Amino acid sequence: MRYWIGGALAIVLALVQAASVEQFKILGIAPNLMLVMLVAWLVVRGLEDVLPMLFVAGLTLGLVGSQTPGLVLLALLPIAGFGVLRELHVVHSDLVLVLVLVAASTVAYELVLLASVVVSGGTLDVVPAFSHAIVPAALVNMALAVPVFAVMRLARPADSRRRLAY
Amino acid sequence: MTARTLVWTGFIAIAAFVLMAANRLTLLDPVENLTLNVTSPVQSAMRDTTRPIADWVNNITDAGGLSRENQRLRDQNERLTNDLTRAREDAVQAQAAQDLNAVRKQFPNDTFLAASVVSRDSSNLRSLVAIDRGSADGVKEGMIVVTEGRSLVGTVAKVYSNYSWIMLITDPKSAVSAIVQESRAEGVVAGNYDGALKMEFVGQGAPVQQGDFVITSGVGGGYPPGIVIGRVSTVGKTPQDLFQHVNVDYLASLTQLEHVLVLTSFVPNRLPPP
Repeated sequence: MRYWIGGALAIVLALVQAASVEQFKILGIAPNLMLVMLVAWLVVRGLEDVLPMLFVAGLTLGLVGSQTPGLVLLALLPIAGFGVLRELHVVHSDLVLVLVLVAASTVAYELVLLASVVVSGGTLDVVPAFSHAIVPAALVNMALAVPVFAVMRLARPADSRRRLAY
Repeated sequence: MTARTLVWTGFIAIAAFVLMAANRLTLLDPVENLTLNVTSPVQSAMRDTTRPIADWVNNITDAGGLSRENQRLRDQNERLTNDLTRAREDAVQAQAAQDLNAVRKQFPNDTFLAASVVSRDSSNLRSLVAIDRGSADGVKEGMIVVTEGRSLVGTVAKVYSNYSWIMLITDPKSAVSAIVQESRAEGVVAGNYDGALKMEFVGQGAPVQQGDFVITSGVGGGYPPGIVIGRVSTVGKTPQDLFQHVNVDYLASLTQLEHVLVLTSFVPNRLPPP
């Protein structure tokens, strides 16, 4: 994929995340559409395609949101690490892989933000943080991942589109 | 992992730390202000476009505009409760003739700056909103933000030229010195990750009851006294604890904020560390 297309997509994704997604709260939790789409893109297109998008999306969300650009990038970085699982073919079902990676990436993302809150003087209440934010966010993002991945599969390269995805 | 992906990963990691350092040194402030300037109309348009869909999704179980009606009643309730609370507070003040009156006289003519909420933090751990007023309008970090009904919303956490981020009282980093209006029991109202408010450090002997009003105490100089925060929702006591477990329902409609007032006449007097 051309970098400029990925970059433009990433900017739009970050703006949608900052502007609109928080309106769609499910059980009081705002889904992280940007993270879900990056993970789905990772599974469909591979790590090489997603890393430039991750950089642009993280930078944009950091600039338009309340978190700093560096912190958002750091919170998204575990996606790159989890992307190794795709390369290793540990999980053969792409859908299961997306769900696992979305859950893991969400927990990692929220834990980085939690660490930043605690380091900068916030309270460390682990139970409410997990029970009201981190775990519900992972579940909501996993639910969102199913339709997002169904759409994303259309962007799969032609040669791999023929093989069974589920 | 190919060499290319390793290079990208390393680049992102280094960029993350460099950007965090640059942000710490406020080097990114002009860039963030410019980005907000450019993108806020786009964000507003996106929000306006998706609002009907969001309303539909959120009100899927509602029968015809229950949410709007609920919001209107909440606003009305907030205004009436504030009137009642102010009247009661005035009565308490007049009767006791405490030092609070002297403090109040220091701020006889409160001036407010109206602002619109242009963005919200999209993470689930923080509670912040962005407003369309910044240092160019006289906004300073630490200033107090209230609703049109004069209930406490939060404090200005970060100021750019034309925009500011407001840390809501429900944010886990927020702590407000407060008193229970009826019993004058003191404590600290703190936010948490679940979006609820707790009043901490309320002594076991303090008579606190469900429905009591909680207002700012002014202790510490960070907030002017007498601003309504909310009402006590539950009180829990266990013999082995030093303090009571007091939960507070905030009065301002923090999840639906569209317009707020920045109290520009009150400059917080943060106490120096001991």
